[in-house]
Amino acid sequence: MAEELDIIDQVVSQEYKYGFTTNIEMETAPKGLNEDIVKFISAKKKEPEWMLEYRLKAYRHWLTLPEPTWQNFQYPPVNYQDIIYYAAPKEKVKLNSLDEVDPELLKTFEKLGISLSEQKRLTGVAVDAVFDSVSIATTFKDQLKEKGIIFCSMSEAVHEHPELVKKYLSSVVPHTDNYFAALNSAVFSDGSFVYIPKGVRCPMELSTYFRINAENTGQFERTLIVADEGSYVSYLEGCTAPMRDENQLHAAVVELVALENAEIKYSTVQNWYPGDKDGNGGIYNFVTKRGICLGNHSKISWTQVETGSAITWKYPSCILKGDYSVGEFFSVAVTNNMQQADTGTKMIHLGKNTKSRIVSKGISAGKSHNTYRGLVRVNKKAEKARNYTQCDSMLIGDRCGAHTFPYIEVSNPTAMVEHEASTSKIGEDQIFYCNQRGIGTEEAISLIVNGFCREVLNQLPMEFAVEAQKLLAVSLEGSVG
Amino acid sequence: MSMLKNIQEDFKQYLSQANESDAFVQLRKQAFVEFEKLGFPTTKHEEWKYTNLKGITERDFLATCETHQSAKAVFNSSIYASMQAHKLVFVNGTLSNELSEVKDIEAGVLIGTLAKNRTSHEAIFKNHFGKYAKVEGEAMNALNTALLSDGAMIYVPTDHLVSKPILILNIADATQQNVLAQPRNLIVVEANASATIVEVYLSTGANASFTNCVNEVYVGANAHLEHYKIQQQVGESYQNNYTQLFQEGNTTINHVTLTLEGTMVRNNLHFYMNGEQCNSVLYGLYITDHKQHVDNHTRVDHAKPNCFSDEKYKGVLKDQSTAVFNGKILVHLDAQKTNAYQRNQNILLSDEATVNTKPQLEIFADDVKCTHGATIGQLDEEPLFYLRSRGIPEREAKKILLNAFADDIAEKIKIPELVALLEQQIDAKL
Repeated sequence: MAEELDIIDQVVSQEYKYGFTTNIEMETAPKGLNEDIVKFISAKKKEPEWMLEYRLKAYRHWLTLPEPTWQNFQYPPVNYQDIIYYAAPKEKVKLNSLDEVDPELLKTFEKLGISLSEQKRLTGVAVDAVFDSVSIATTFKDQLKEKGIIFCSMSEAVHEHPELVKKYLSSVVPHTDNYFAALNSAVFSDGSFVYIPKGVRCPMELSTYFRINAENTGQFERTLIVADEGSYVSYLEGCTAPMRDENQLHAAVVELVALENAEIKYSTVQNWYPGDKDGNGGIYNFVTKRGICLGNHSKISWTQVETGSAITWKYPSCILKGDYSVGEFFSVAVTNNMQQADTGTKMIHLGKNTKSRIVSKGISAGKSHNTYRGLVRVNKKAEKARNYTQCDSMLIGDRCGAHTFPYIEVSNPTAMVEHEASTSKIGEDQIFYCNQRGIGTEEAISLIVNGFCREVLNQLPMEFAVEAQKLLAVSLEGSVG
Repeated sequence: MSMLKNIQEDFKQYLSQANESDAFVQLRKQAFVEFEKLGFPTTKHEEWKYTNLKGITERDFLATCETHQSAKAVFNSSIYASMQAHKLVFVNGTLSNELSEVKDIEAGVLIGTLAKNRTSHEAIFKNHFGKYAKVEGEAMNALNTALLSDGAMIYVPTDHLVSKPILILNIADATQQNVLAQPRNLIVVEANASATIVEVYLSTGANASFTNCVNEVYVGANAHLEHYKIQQQVGESYQNNYTQLFQEGNTTINHVTLTLEGTMVRNNLHFYMNGEQCNSVLYGLYITDHKQHVDNHTRVDHAKPNCFSDEKYKGVLKDQSTAVFNGKILVHLDAQKTNAYQRNQNILLSDEATVNTKPQLEIFADDVKCTHGATIGQLDEEPLFYLRSRGIPEREAKKILLNAFADDIAEKIKIPELVALLEQQIDAKL
């Protein structure tokens, strides 16, 4: 027991490993938010008229909305006038290869362990690295081009593929959706745009690394992925932010559209700065993520490993509109110290014979609180819909909390909906079993937690799975083992 | 005129006759201020997300103490008339001496009304009334506290055992007009005592009725309570029922709610475990048809370690009916070794029925065992086929299966008359 406490202490006192800032001259907008700022961002990005109008419409709608209060955590009020809504590294030249990227930037990425060149050479991952607000480099672009795949930053897409952007942007998450989606629609700076043409199977994992660098910058990413009929794409998203004392707001929007027979797999590893052990600083991660299975037999799969952020508040969702479409959600959320997470998913069954599966694993340690909140809705016309939900929580230490709020709404008698949940503490007998066989307590805990999360970790692409496992071990090191 | 206006006028009238120096009057005044501050709950309120009171609050409901012969007829034709029990019968919130029957009770035991015994048993009233069902943030409780008509006051002293069930029967008589009844029951079972309470809701008349009821129950250390709630209001009847049970250490409570009729029924059942080794059972069954709306909100507060709770709510839904279930288990900080189960199972018999369920856990201790689950589905095809292939008609086969589905709820009912009633209702609803 004493040893256990020691380990808990160690984990609790662990410093954030990725805290450093990069000294690059930044071009920023003045603090605050008003119509001029929205126009400023739009002008900076040389956006067409329709885009500016969309932003202004969203901004005006945002003004009418109250901040939501239903969440299961507290946070000090955010002063939206104290945020810089646009920050771009000044050297803004279009780059064709990594060699042209500012070496300072590359160093930052290297410290994070995601050296672009390394990845480029060894893993064949095309990375669209987002350094604060502007995409710095896009690798493997040409190779993707051959197949007709569009993988570029959102601002490029607005210029080069306006018809696609116009058609799909905000079709899944309208600007009226919620407070933070409205804010994002008004001020989003950049993000990734992916289009996979008919019948194309994307030959590599696409990936974006987000990183919040400038002080007092809100990061407002906008990602849109469209998979045309019969296509397949796997997309990875990873996030880290350096140490900052003030809380930083991250309000991104991710939209996925899967047409007939298409499949999108979206994986996230989020490791933003969680604040120090007294809960000072850290990122507020308030993100709206939603995918729609528009066509029949389409599939969207979300996988997330959430270990960072002071507050994580997001519900990656699937709207299952096409008949026989499938939605999946796999999540591991780890909270430590004063971290708070309120996360889960929404599965909206509209089409016939739609299926969804939810597997959520929450691990809370220290004084943190971890909430699973999920909605499964079966509409009247969703004949023979099927859902299976499993959410398990593990508690490490006696000062943390684990909460479950599943909403199940069924309006069709042919639906089969199941929900199962359990809460447990890490088993003393399991640790004892390992100890008995010569495995140290620390290692045993890591084994047990990894086993607890296995179902979810298995869903991650290879490269990410390794990183995620390491992250879990780091954030829980000693917490029981 | 809306209900709110009626209520405001009622309260003004009440105040004009009340004795301001009475602490009870002050309590009601505070409650009314709270109610006016909160207003009727709307669907924007998380706890009322699926249940809309608008249809009721915009209508005219009048509080009245007029009663009619039909109330008597309803009572006499029910199974309760012949039941062996101490009976307190309230019609539109006031006691009917004619129908009530309390005899042969031991000295010290009180089975009476709040209005009569509030002052004669002042210590009990003062210690328990309004202590468990809080008015803060609870608009409907505040409304009841401000304008309650009357209700049962039951007191079982230490080491006493009341063997006969105590029947608290409420009849909403809407023969003449739309009525609003606000019964309020206070039940105190002291240490080492035992009692059985049967709470029943009936109705009569062609007009609409709205019953807004609050029950406060205190169970002392080592005591045992059997608590049954049977809701059978027919016609256009609405009900909001709030029951708060406060448990000391080593107590056992067996609670069963049967919702058989009612246009709209909202139940709030709240257990608070204030001692170790408590054992609570919360079972419920709802059988709905037509446009019925049944909403069960339960909350179990595991405030102390080593307690056990077992919750199971089952529903059978027909036609365009809607059922809502919201179960909340709260394990407080340091309530270690808590063992809590929660299940909600629903069978949909029609294309238009809807179920909204939310089995919720909030856990602040690490050494606990909590599981919850919810299922929604149809009657299983295979057993149905099995029965029919053996010459049992479809209707009969369905009845057998539904009876089996309801069986684990029925098992918890220890009064044979009520079990028979349940079976008969399943048959009738099919």
